[in-house]
Amino acid sequence: MYGDLANKLVIEAKRTAQLNNRGNKTTLPVHNDELVRDIIKEVTQLKRNIEFFKEQEETMNENGEYANSRIMKCQHFVNALCLERNKRCLLGYQKLRSDMLDSLAWENNGMDMLGTVSSEENSNLTHHEQEYLKKYSELLTDMKSGELTDIDLSGSLTPPREIFIDVRVLKDAGEIQTEYGVFNLIKDSQFFVRQSDVERLIQQGFLQKI
Amino acid sequence: MGYYDIDDMLTEGSEIPCKFLHDIPGLGYLENNPGKPIKANAKLMLPYWLAHILAVVDSGSIDDNSENRMDDERSVPFIEMSTPESFSQKVTNAIKTDPVSLDLHSINPHFYELALKWCGLYSDKNLSEIVSHLLIQRAQEINNFAFSTAIQNKNINSIGSITSSNNINDNKNSNDNSNSNNNNNTHLLASSSFLMTLDELEKQVYKKSHESYKDSKRWMYQNK
Repeated sequence: MYGDLANKLVIEAKRTAQLNNRGNKTTLPVHNDELVRDIIKEVTQLKRNIEFFKEQEETMNENGEYANSRIMKCQHFVNALCLERNKRCLLGYQKLRSDMLDSLAWENNGMDMLGTVSSEENSNLTHHEQEYLKKYSELLTDMKSGELTDIDLSGSLTPPREIFIDVRVLKDAGEIQTEYGVFNLIKDSQFFVRQSDVERLIQQGFLQKI
Repeated sequence: MGYYDIDDMLTEGSEIPCKFLHDIPGLGYLENNPGKPIKANAKLMLPYWLAHILAVVDSGSIDDNSENRMDDERSVPFIEMSTPESFSQKVTNAIKTDPVSLDLHSINPHFYELALKWCGLYSDKNLSEIVSHLLIQRAQEINNFAFSTAIQNKNINSIGSITSSNNINDNKNSNDNSNSNNNNNTHLLASSSFLMTLDELEKQVYKKSHESYKDSKRWMYQNK
């Protein structure tokens, strides 16, 4: 029946939402191209049905026949409702995904969006979604570098307990310059640094707090 | 509850027994009989999203069917919905006898939301009273579980994937102390079987209360 495919899609979306509530990390499953395409096919079919009904009604009116309006109305309603339902399900599925992309852009601080992250998830995103993610990250960066430069919007919400912390380097990151001198960040080395200096690097995954 | 709400869509996907009041040609696909007409008085299951409009919309009576002209009721809808399985006498009786041990999830995972819609549509005062009473009764039990699991620092994830999270918790227990292992296990099993019976709305309630218990606990330790 019409709408069955859309139901399948919503159930899948529900599962995705549940999985994301469970873990803290957002993982986007593969976009279900095939199902979406099938639903769109169904929508086209429904549209054609409705157009056919319209034509039929018109010709009947022209011929002066008394169209059985009840039957026409019912058929029309069933088709239109199926159409609406399919539309809603498709939009709901896509909304969930775009919401997840948004949070992905925030979590990753708008950095390396198209570098590290998308290479892993690349295959799971459609072309349009990649485009969306790129544009959204650009918007974020714009906003952060605009009037709001003084506030670190994606900074940690927990207040720091110490000024200086021990960090371990997870990835080579070259040299960084701080008030207390130059650190050369080589993998697996440890430093005792001011927290505010390395906040960004921790978020980006170069350093780990010990 | 919004246009993009996944749970709302699933609720509207619930099937409701319906009866067609008119012969409609070409709608046979609704009862897996494509190409054939649907006869008046044909009974079939339709999803709520389709049924609730067809059941309230006036089918209009500008046709010359004299038998319908004679009808006193001027507006006749296309179909007539009968009470869905979820709110049948059997279920309402079960709710009245023991709200807590009822397996709501197996009746309908979106029981409350569907009840809300149904009561709104038919102004069913009786049902709404039963349902709100049910939620109050079960909320106490949900709160108990949310509190006790918060004390034991159990994982919220137990809902839905009971078996897998059971294993994780088992491992944690055996690492921590093997003495209380048995004790915890039996408790966990009891709680998990209750948690399995929650419907989607109750799961949200459970989750929220569990998290707030956890947060308040964390806050208390922080300030010591």
